[in-house]
Amino acid sequence: MVNQQKTLGVMIISPPFGNQYADHMCRTISRALDKGYRVEIFLYGDSVHAQMNAQRPKTFYPVGKVLKELIDRGAVVYSCEICSIARGYISGELKDGKKDYSSTKVIEGVQFTTIFGFAEMLNRADKVVCFGGS
Amino acid sequence: MAKLIMDVGHAPFGHENAYAGFFVTMGWVSIGNQGFVLLRGEGVHAARKGQGDTMMEIGLPQTEKLVNDIIGEGARVIAEKEALRARNITPEMLIQGVEIMSSSELDAVVLEHGERVLTL
Repeated sequence: MVNQQKTLGVMIISPPFGNQYADHMCRTISRALDKGYRVEIFLYGDSVHAQMNAQRPKTFYPVGKVLKELIDRGAVVYSCEICSIARGYISGELKDGKKDYSSTKVIEGVQFTTIFGFAEMLNRADKVVCFGGS
Repeated sequence: MAKLIMDVGHAPFGHENAYAGFFVTMGWVSIGNQGFVLLRGEGVHAARKGQGDTMMEIGLPQTEKLVNDIIGEGARVIAEKEALRARNITPEMLIQGVEIMSSSELDAVVLEHGERVLTL
């Protein structure tokens, strides 16, 4: 019998540090990876601030550092392209339509996508969790 | 057909969540899926018809157009009866095509169709 790997889809809409939704998300994803889930994350709205590189919170949970660790462990992190443009994370133009921007403000491994890319991500998910509705 | 329930509890214009809910639902139904938007609490304000030229006036999209667009794509938009009553919003004040259900009926929708539920 083949052990089919399940996919967990995660959407977050709250920014890091102002509340703990991003912290809870990171911990949940870490445990899901431990349990063998394939994990895909969509950063939407103000939650795209979690993708900023060189975050240095002195006392808060290090969301950026943990997000990079989750990417290194296999989590796929998508970020809303429109939200990222609005908040200044993307500079320059798309390179040859490869979804590759000349931005230097984002943690390595974060991929930009659209709402339609998120809809496809939801389609692939066996379970969906949303963090930060407020 | 895969199903998504978008549970919106925030009013438009003062908060981004209602827009997020409508945009994601539009993306979802446009690739052939079934979508439900539940408007609860302050979220019911998104279903009011006769909204002004909000893009021109305050620089934000008109949720009336978004509601019309996603209903046109086959999604169901359902407003919570109790939330409407509390805000003195009558059925005649709603965008055509918006359904009204009681809180318990909405719970039944979630239980029946809630393969994927996003709360905004």
